[in-house]
Amino acid sequence: MPVIEIISTGVGLSVQDYGRPGWRRFGVPPGGVMDRSSAAAANRLLGNRADAPVLEVLMQGAKLRVLEDTWIAIAGADLGCAIAPWTACAVSAGTILQFPMNRSGLWAYVAVPGGFDADRWFGSASVDSRNGLGRPLERGVQLSAVTSASSFKYERVGRRVLAAELQRDFSRPMEFELLPGPQFDLFSSQARADLVSSEWTVSPRSDRTGFRLEGPALNVPDSIRSEPVLPGSFQIPGSGLPIVTMVDGPTVGGYAKIAILREADLDWLAQCRPGTKIGFNLCS
Amino acid sequence: MAQKTNSSLFQGARIRPYGERGYLLDQLSISKRFVIEQALSMTPPDGFDEYVIGADNLLILFQWPESEGVLHEWLSGLQCEILDGLNHSRRIEVPVRYDGPDLATVAVATGLSEAEVVAIHSAPEYRVRMMGFAPGFPYLDGLDERLHLERKASPRDRIEPGSVGIGGSHAGIYSVASPGGWHLLGRTDFPLFQAEQARGTVSDARQVFALAAGDTVKFLVI
Repeated sequence: MPVIEIISTGVGLSVQDYGRPGWRRFGVPPGGVMDRSSAAAANRLLGNRADAPVLEVLMQGAKLRVLEDTWIAIAGADLGCAIAPWTACAVSAGTILQFPMNRSGLWAYVAVPGGFDADRWFGSASVDSRNGLGRPLERGVQLSAVTSASSFKYERVGRRVLAAELQRDFSRPMEFELLPGPQFDLFSSQARADLVSSEWTVSPRSDRTGFRLEGPALNVPDSIRSEPVLPGSFQIPGSGLPIVTMVDGPTVGGYAKIAILREADLDWLAQCRPGTKIGFNLCS
Repeated sequence: MAQKTNSSLFQGARIRPYGERGYLLDQLSISKRFVIEQALSMTPPDGFDEYVIGADNLLILFQWPESEGVLHEWLSGLQCEILDGLNHSRRIEVPVRYDGPDLATVAVATGLSEAEVVAIHSAPEYRVRMMGFAPGFPYLDGLDERLHLERKASPRDRIEPGSVGIGGSHAGIYSVASPGGWHLLGRTDFPLFQAEQARGTVSDARQVFALAAGDTVKFLVI
């Protein structure tokens, strides 16, 4: 039985899980949710596996109709939905869930019992529309939950609010932890110093493939032989302005990589809206 | 015919950490890379996650951090055989209509006629060095030096799948619609990447990808 119908996709709406690692050597990006820790939180609120398929809502505008009584959990960005982020609650058939405004963060995650039941490509339900993987959502599409409300064990939802210390306020100013990248030594000491001493701004030219940063142009070394690229890498193209590779980004590239984010920090960076000021610390 | 290699083949290999769980091996010949690939698929080190191929390098990802010691030990204990001629590879013929939008400008830039560009581009037996950039996109080795050109100063916003192009020292074929800065010489209907074949789970990469690293590609003029 379908549990959710899409009324509007807003700025962006897709089904995502933990992606399809294992195919990078054929050029397939790992993909998956942009903020794993928030998606996992939404799933755990309902007792789901952390990697169960969720709806990923990008900024404002999405509108969903609930088709049968169920439980819904929301985590990540605060998009003004009646269900507050980091909570789960019972929702009755006919309810309209709206995400009308962009209070903090970029990506909100909507979980249903057992996760969304979606077709898989390379074993993953994640939508990567550029590469024709996953089923893109549009108005009128109905989605089913793996577990129906009647068979869902409500008592498993022990805590319907995520512990306060695990909730994240994405409007808080952030400094992120960097590790030296494979070409760290090719960059001038000035470039390395600029990276950590400057304030950077997330550019509006950012998407699921990469986040661009605005700030002082770094000195650029020569390009390198094409090399594998991991999400979180700070690639420095000719402009001298970093592109942080995200999960849908290319699997190889020829730009020198000065640094890479700690994996745990990539989730939070993905939630930084264009215009957000951020800083970096280098750890060794 | 198999040739026994001694176990010191990878001793002292340069390993650069990349991220918390990744290690890059540099300056690998194609045959050394092949030995490592074979070993990773048959007797991977403890905690191995996946590997990614670069131009002359290989990234090995582990499931958990601080695996450098494990990797060193695994590499130095590698008792593999190099198989003559990389006999896992295949020869694939790709029919091309040489009517690409950059054929004329490439001819001017190289001082060749369009017919010469076509003849020179379609002559070699190319070798797939790696796949990347997009699913199924092959970087092909073997491009004649007369066709080595810098990438276009302003990349196109959209290149159709099946576009046959050249960039730097590589030839390639766009496998999905994407932006790109390569010079486009022609088109092929040859399916490099069949996303629909990846529905569910994929046990054999050949169902989805026409090519794999190590394969030979020959362009046929149509």
